[in-house]
Amino acid sequence: MRYAVERQGLLRSLEIASKQQLEFKNHFLSHVSHELRTPLTCIHQYVTLLLDGLAGPVTPEQYDHLKTVLKSVNQLHAMIRDLLEATRAESGKLRVEPRCVSIGELMQQAVAMMRPAAQGRQIGLEMGLDSRIPLVYADPDRILEVLINLTDNAIKFTEAEGSVMIKACMTETDPSFVYVSVTDTGRGIGMEAQPLIFERLYQDPDSVDNNRSGLGLGLFICKELVRLHGGRIWVTSDPGHGSIFSFTLPLYSLVKLLAPVIAYEERLRAAFVLVRVDLAPLTNPPRGNWRETWKQCLETLRRCVYLDKDLVLPPMWESGATETFFVLASTDMAGATIMTTRIREQLERLANLKTKGTLSITTAPVELGSLDPTQSLEIRVEIVAGRVTEMIMASMDRKQKSPGNGVKHFN
Amino acid sequence: MRKPKILVVDDDPDLVKAMRLRLRANNCEVITVSDGYSVIGAAQKERPDVIILDLGLPAGDGFVVLERLQSSDTLSGIPVIVLTARDPQGNEQRALKAGAAAFFQKPVDNDELMNVIRVSLPHRSAPGVPMMS
Repeated sequence: MRYAVERQGLLRSLEIASKQQLEFKNHFLSHVSHELRTPLTCIHQYVTLLLDGLAGPVTPEQYDHLKTVLKSVNQLHAMIRDLLEATRAESGKLRVEPRCVSIGELMQQAVAMMRPAAQGRQIGLEMGLDSRIPLVYADPDRILEVLINLTDNAIKFTEAEGSVMIKACMTETDPSFVYVSVTDTGRGIGMEAQPLIFERLYQDPDSVDNNRSGLGLGLFICKELVRLHGGRIWVTSDPGHGSIFSFTLPLYSLVKLLAPVIAYEERLRAAFVLVRVDLAPLTNPPRGNWRETWKQCLETLRRCVYLDKDLVLPPMWESGATETFFVLASTDMAGATIMTTRIREQLERLANLKTKGTLSITTAPVELGSLDPTQSLEIRVEIVAGRVTEMIMASMDRKQKSPGNGVKHFN
Repeated sequence: MRKPKILVVDDDPDLVKAMRLRLRANNCEVITVSDGYSVIGAAQKERPDVIILDLGLPAGDGFVVLERLQSSDTLSGIPVIVLTARDPQGNEQRALKAGAAAFFQKPVDNDELMNVIRVSLPHRSAPGVPMMS
């Protein structure tokens, strides 16, 4: 008995010591990263001053040398960032803020950002997207980071005249996830390296030396980011012919979110109205901290609805600056008018919005007339959720095609 | 048109020198301060259009400076752009909540910084503003 108590005590102090060690390591890395960034910033500033000719003309040869210095500074910067991210991942402090996102838009952004690098190495960079792919529930900044990391690796390990393809598709076996893949025609990864490639600090020993410009943390960070989204990441590779890095992201399931609003006490509610709130910044890019402004608006919006019968949907993400929120209100159009008046009054009181953006609120009833009452409640809930989804998608499509024109069938 | 006046607050003299060169090349007038204590006095005297503020400062941390600027009736309208080597996780939200207009981690992309300065300038965001090179 005494030994058991002592053992437990020892285990507890070991656990505390290991936690303290991890805390110390995190603190140390954060401090080192800050200290390294300061001289790095200085080098960056002076090199860019020289490159921009602000300290006098530079010869073409000097320009080339300075470009090499800048490239190395950027590599160092990326390493410091990766080191911090990996430490965060290890200590569970890596954060994601999932939203309703179009994976196609993120892929387009990644391709646009990586195209110069691909062209520089004479590698074709293409994108394949099934247009029927629904929205995913993901943090746009973080998933863009994953896409860029995978594409950057693919370009790095592919010879000139090769190709890199980013694709997204759905599969019948796993209908609640979107599959995203980055395929290259590079040298591939050996069988023994494949299970280790996502491990922290791992680098494939077959990599050619001049390509080893990282710390071996990129794929580890990708794995952690995908895991935090509830997805998984893996690689299949044919040494000598190329690799396919794939990951999954959960679909944005409106049905799951909407079901508790659509049905109540085993009955379908009588009427629904979809309310759309658009916040457009006065300037593009937005002036000041726009992110903080729309977050305040979202909080206010949540306070304006009845928690038990209305639902403010997670924000829609788009590459433009305008923020769009949808609210499903279980009420008729008369009730919705009262609600939108309240929303408008509350939002217009926000000082931040007054000086930084404009507000537009529109409403549209959800058509329920053709529902068959003999069908099970579950099916009817799915039909209504499907209609709401269609209305949202149509409304967002229209916005993309004619920005600023509002939504015609909303009034 | 009067040149935009930028107050740069940073305790690294080498970095301040580089920032001065960069901003002057973009047709800005530059004033510099190297500690947190002197910011309010300099801002009251010079009335800058924008303040670029480091967070780690001697004699008054950047957050204290932000708080003092926000609580001043005459200075709270000046946009503050935070430029720091500190980690954005935690610091970015805190700075934005304290009233900063934007947050950048060092080293910053110069074009991005200039763009944010341009949109932060009151009544100067119209195209053709001579500030941008």
